[in-house]
Amino acid sequence: MNARTFVGGMIASGVILGVGAGVGTAAHQLTVSSVSTGGSATGTAAGNGSSGASSSGASSSGVDGTYTGASASTRFGDVQVQVTVSGGRITDVTALHLTDADGRSVQISNRAAPILRDEVLSAQSANVQMVSGATYTSEAYLTSLQSALDQAGM
Amino acid sequence: MRWTFGTMGTVASILTEGDVAPLLRARVETIFEGYDQIFSLYRRESPLAAIARGELHLADAPDVVRDEYARAVRWRARTHGWFDPHRPDGVLDLSGTIKAVAMARAAEALAGDEARGVVSVGGDLLAIGGWQGRAGVADPADRGRLLADVDLGRRAALATSGSAERGDHIWSRAGSTDVLQATVRGHDIVTADVVATALVAAGTTEMDDLLESFDVDALVVTDAGMFASPGWPRPRASADLSPTSARG
Repeated sequence: MNARTFVGGMIASGVILGVGAGVGTAAHQLTVSSVSTGGSATGTAAGNGSSGASSSGASSSGVDGTYTGASASTRFGDVQVQVTVSGGRITDVTALHLTDADGRSVQISNRAAPILRDEVLSAQSANVQMVSGATYTSEAYLTSLQSALDQAGM
Repeated sequence: MRWTFGTMGTVASILTEGDVAPLLRARVETIFEGYDQIFSLYRRESPLAAIARGELHLADAPDVVRDEYARAVRWRARTHGWFDPHRPDGVLDLSGTIKAVAMARAAEALAGDEARGVVSVGGDLLAIGGWQGRAGVADPADRGRLLADVDLGRRAALATSGSAERGDHIWSRAGSTDVLQATVRGHDIVTADVVATALVAAGTTEMDDLLESFDVDALVVTDAGMFASPGWPRPRASADLSPTSARG
């Protein structure tokens, strides 16, 4: 799933703050501060909730420009979306880049990919001090690498 | 120091950079023993065993039993049923979450004493105090070998579930699974343990759906090869491994 599909899904579920017509009916104030591209008026709109729509001109075509929506919470933390309106229609949606609490780039997708055995064993594997494995029983522990490490550590 | 003790039908192995006072060690062992006395299906006097025999109603069980049941049921919902404390034979089995809960409590006790190290119980690991060591993942085909190794930072929990030596441990509503082993690295041990269990139970057809639902890294061994999620460390990219492969 790429960023646009993800964000498209969020719009479909009404999570993203709506800009212009038809996205919702809650009466939120649009705060127009700075700006961008052409059209009859431009502005940056920020809402105070995770869903909602322009309170003015709900039946009109909306104001052209680029808008940054309110943050929406996802499993990664908060995501902000930038929406471009042109000719009264949303013409582009971009998920703004975020890093998570670990400082890693937020991946929109967590799908698993095939890998080779040797790709995931590093040069530091000789320094492993604790092993995770499906060692449920005491008997299985006795023949495990963990047991050897524990005995060596004593 | 490193100390081991039996609990919950398996072995706990705890490694710390400094010494842990005997009183604190006893407290840690008591934490596990306490949960085992209540939740073990192998101890005749435990409330869970009594519930399994039909001699005790869940509604009459100690509060902790009902609370842990509620926790397990929430996880069943989050994993779309692939983690399920209800066995096919009708027995309520909370061992899947209880081990992780006990590990978390033990880690809290050790961290409170400013210990740094890692707690390992039945194949699950939980690093404490910012442990900088290296954790390995066992090869399901050879318990003496490593499949992978990782660091544990903020993602301090590493849980592995497997179908190879499970016996009755992981039952699946699908009946069988093509996942031999799943290892999950995450921010907390209960999440990592539940997701690893669910990945094994669900099989590869549900793998991506499960991984998309949780902020974890995973290494999954299937009967058709291995898979890893984007955040799982790949210290040696495949391009570096094959001397004869064409590059670029």
